[in-house]
Amino acid sequence: MNKLLTIAQAVPRQFVREYAFKSDLKIKWVRPEKISCIKPEKSGDLGKLPPLHEDELLPEYKDCKELKDANESVQQLFRLSNNANHLTTRYYRDQFVQEVQRHPQDFGSMEAKLAKMTAFIRRYQLHMDAHPRDKMIKVRLKELIDKRKKFLKYLRRWDYPRFEWILEKLDLVYKPPPTHFHWITRKESLQKLTDIYCDKLKEERLEAYHKQLQTQQIPYLEDAINKMQFVRQEQIDCDVPVTVTEQQIEEVRSELAELKKIREVADAAIRKQVDEHFV
Amino acid sequence: MAARGLLLMGQCMPCIKQNASKIRIRRMELDKNLNMYFKKDTFFFAHDPQKLCKTGDVVLIRELPERMTRLITHAVEKVVYPLGDITDPLTGKKVVVGKYREDIEMANQLFGKSAKAFDYDKAPARGRLEGSKDFTHVETYIKYHEDGKEQPHAV
Repeated sequence: MNKLLTIAQAVPRQFVREYAFKSDLKIKWVRPEKISCIKPEKSGDLGKLPPLHEDELLPEYKDCKELKDANESVQQLFRLSNNANHLTTRYYRDQFVQEVQRHPQDFGSMEAKLAKMTAFIRRYQLHMDAHPRDKMIKVRLKELIDKRKKFLKYLRRWDYPRFEWILEKLDLVYKPPPTHFHWITRKESLQKLTDIYCDKLKEERLEAYHKQLQTQQIPYLEDAINKMQFVRQEQIDCDVPVTVTEQQIEEVRSELAELKKIREVADAAIRKQVDEHFV
Repeated sequence: MAARGLLLMGQCMPCIKQNASKIRIRRMELDKNLNMYFKKDTFFFAHDPQKLCKTGDVVLIRELPERMTRLITHAVEKVVYPLGDITDPLTGKKVVVGKYREDIEMANQLFGKSAKAFDYDKAPARGRLEGSKDFTHVETYIKYHEDGKEQPHAV
């Protein structure tokens, strides 16, 4: 106890400031850039809309025989690209729904609804790229994205195989929301980064110490065998009860041999890796 | 405590620990002041080397005779209800929300089933999209740092 006290007195207590503490660690924090919630990387859309074919006709007139025989200027009038924008959106909607629907009359099942929403979302996202100040579409798009996410959540709970299938089919990513919301602050982010840094440091040092101990293993065992043999010989020579048996020495020997074998295999593997790396 | 071998039923939560699953036991607790019940969650870590249960499954866990590690105190006994793959206990048929899968399938056949439509028989087991499209097996977090690398679990 006295010894401890003297040590405590000898080392003066460091000046510790509890408030406005600044870390010495050179950790650089970069605030992540805010991504708009209507962008594909936030909404989870991996795929893009297929490009529209140049001579795609309006769906109603696709099988019209008279239109096929008509002259070029008439055909131009019935092309999708020369008609109102919403007709192209509808065309995409029908394409998407046809890909997933259960039967030709199905427009109300969960997958059909999700496909319809996805078509609209991708179409609106293109629109928002061209017209970033269109607030009406922006609101509609955000509401659609949120609704689709909610529907995906329901579908996951109801029918997991179908949920996975629809994710693949529509090329969507589903990320569950974080457990609690918090604003990103410099202080909290730095605390987290420091924690990660400390964990890494701890792991590295433990690893280094482990390696150091491993290198000492073989010399220790060799030394142990020598000493045990010496002690045994001395005990036999001096006519005192023998405490070290042959069996014990043999055990240590086998342990050493095993260890050496393991090390050799590991070394060979490392050498092979290095060779492959250079070849 | 040790010899009880207590059985508990709870829901599997996303967990980063290997060989273990995080199980949430949800109970209702009476607030005597308001005379109302509120949800109260207790979390247990159950030993599960084969990863029997996935996030959202309702599982039975049994208390181990002695705690395996500082955290792991239970072992997963059985998956009672896999998430989104419910079997009706009375008839033994598969159910989606309020309908049998058979009935839905029959309606599809009557309307003329589409060739591209989803088929339960062809669907592989759950978990093939983990880490690529479906991130429900991990806890997501709000992105707080830009380090130039991909952060798939960040929202």
